Amino acid sequence: MNIKTLAVVKREFLTRVKTKGFIIGTLLLPVIFALLFGGVFIFGALFQPKGQDITIIDQTGRIYGEFTTLQNGTLKNGEPRFRWSEFELGDATLEDTKVELSAKVLSKELDAYIVIPSDIIESKVIAFFARNVSDMEGIHSFRRSFSTIISNIRLAEKGYPADEIRSEMAQGRVNLETIQVTEKGDIGKNSVSNFILTYLLCYILMLFIMSYGQMVTRSVIEEKSQRITETIISSIKPIELMMGKLIGICMVGITQLLVIAGFILAFSLYGDDLLMKAGVEAPKLLDIIRSINFTPVLFFYFIVFFLFGYLIYGAIFAAIGAMVNTEDEGQQFLTPVMMLNMLSFFVMFSVAKNPDTTAALWVSLIPFFTPVVMFARISALDPVLPSGAFISIFTTGLFLYGLLWMVAKIYRVGILMYGKKPSLKEALKWIKY
Amino acid sequence: MKIVEVKNVSKQFGKLKAVNDISFSIEKGKVYGVLGPNGAGKTTTIRMIMNIIIPDSGEINIMGESNLKKINHKIGYLPEERGLYRKMKVNDVLLFLGELKGMKGKSAQTEIDFWLDKLELTEWKKKKVEELSKGMQQKLQIIATIMPKPELLILDEPFLGLDPINTQMIKDIIMEEKKRGTTIIFSTHQMESAERLCDEIMLINKGQKILSGTVSDVKSQFGSKYIQIAFTGDNSFLNESQIIDHYTEFGNYVEIELKAGNDPQSLLESLVSKIKISRFEVMEPSLHDIFINSVQGEDELGRME
Repeated sequence: MNIKTLAVVKREFLTRVKTKGFIIGTLLLPVIFALLFGGVFIFGALFQPKGQDITIIDQTGRIYGEFTTLQNGTLKNGEPRFRWSEFELGDATLEDTKVELSAKVLSKELDAYIVIPSDIIESKVIAFFARNVSDMEGIHSFRRSFSTIISNIRLAEKGYPADEIRSEMAQGRVNLETIQVTEKGDIGKNSVSNFILTYLLCYILMLFIMSYGQMVTRSVIEEKSQRITETIISSIKPIELMMGKLIGICMVGITQLLVIAGFILAFSLYGDDLLMKAGVEAPKLLDIIRSINFTPVLFFYFIVFFLFGYLIYGAIFAAIGAMVNTEDEGQQFLTPVMMLNMLSFFVMFSVAKNPDTTAALWVSLIPFFTPVVMFARISALDPVLPSGAFISIFTTGLFLYGLLWMVAKIYRVGILMYGKKPSLKEALKWIKY
Repeated sequence: MKIVEVKNVSKQFGKLKAVNDISFSIEKGKVYGVLGPNGAGKTTTIRMIMNIIIPDSGEINIMGESNLKKINHKIGYLPEERGLYRKMKVNDVLLFLGELKGMKGKSAQTEIDFWLDKLELTEWKKKKVEELSKGMQQKLQIIATIMPKPELLILDEPFLGLDPINTQMIKDIIMEEKKRGTTIIFSTHQMESAERLCDEIMLINKGQKILSGTVSDVKSQFGSKYIQIAFTGDNSFLNESQIIDHYTEFGNYVEIELKAGNDPQSLLESLVSKIKISRFEVMEPSLHDIFINSVQGEDELGRME
């Protein structure tokens, strides 16, 4: 690279990295990801439910006691999760009582009441009246407890030993361990955590390709709209300027990616300790985090495919920037290209589930899809390389060479054109100049 | 040695002949003015010299090279369409533009400090470009153009948007650059500036060269001398004298143009006995007059066609 191109690289890099926005954004990004990733659990831990007063009308007279023993959970501060009370109907009718209790619920004297009908064993329907009926977890847990009690009663009526059956069933529960068979031996792998990692990485990949590609457009348009181009072009060839721009902005992206990669690595190493300390009690989540396997090899491919994706889309975006005068004008050309990038992300979903099929191979060889889709296959099959991984690097490289050649021609003419924005046809004519 | 050689260059945009068969050359160390009204083809000519616009026909050689890429570090160019990175700091912009011309870190910084001081911009060094006024940004551009010590300086409308003080400052700098041996081309429609700065000028209108040469050549070639006289006494001589072509009265003085082939000296002789003269001055025509006359003449010619 010559000194002039290097000067452009340096300028593009430093003017972006030195801004407050970049520093804050880079530090904030991992935090945002953390919130997205573990947010549900962290917030769950933050917003502890308060104790609730619930009354039960037990028309069978035999369920209340057992149910309240099962639902005897406590809050963090040691107080009971639910304060149960039983309502004896006595002479009052059920309808009158329901009206009375509903009024109490509305006046917040009570949080909820439950009506267990006398024919529950047959009808199997229990009514739960409350101001808030969207506490899925709580309702689910009530349903489980009632089901246990009712099925126990039904078993007992038929003369089966309910406790024995239950304990046998619990002991018979099986775990399915997933083990990937590879040439390097069998590797234990958690399929959920692998899919989450693939999904997360592909999402970051697409996001970065898109936002850094757009940065290229903005950078080109800035020089055009601020009338800087002529000054610069008197010292440097257009292609050198374009390459310097592409490389400089790319380095900003890689800098940011390194920070995020460091974060994901740290999270997969220390994430569960951290969440434990934060008081998150979600063993499933901890399992997933524990088994995230973000290897340096995977990161290497991530960078390679980021480079490819960024260069393909960045080059097209540079050509678009050179064709138009303002960002608004550019939008019309940018949108279809961005849709193409988004499409590769949607394709990725199905490919990541079946990464080793022939269809997956062909889709991942389409240059516009290769970056996200091929990376998804690599990540899903890691540590085995999917078929066509090296071929795709070769074909994308070749495609990129042709694309850059074409874009350089459009760029060279476009950056000095002011006034009416050209049609796509006119712009393609510039290639011949 | 010819630094710039332009041979029969033409450029057409659609139906408009922006530049029509223009030729000229510039000797090393000369200041060359490209003059003309708006839309005459000045900027197109300069852009073709800078290889920004490719001519339809003709040939351009700079320092003996037809490929500008090899020597563009020796050329300082101030385009008519000029702007700077608004979000960058003044010092950073200059460093960047210096680097593009092949200047290196420390020596570039020394030059930048020197020029910022000279053009009274030192206190703006750490400010963003967008905080500067238009005039200050213009000076910044001029610094960026001159700082790398180019051998050829091409300035397209360098005085545009500058107040008289800054205009003078830039004129002084152009003269200093000339003393350094720099060849300078600039375009302007400010005739007084051209008259004072240029060794040679070229006047173009509607893409065509109307006249060219040294300033005094052009003046003797295209303008007739006229005489200003301030006097007291009988003014009947104005109508009686055989050698006066026409005159204009301005209250305090009259302006006289003599018939072709007559000497101001003989007019003076004939007047000494008739009136009391307080001022007698032989005036050269200004480029301004020549400019207006030539351009209007062209236009009338155009209308007659």
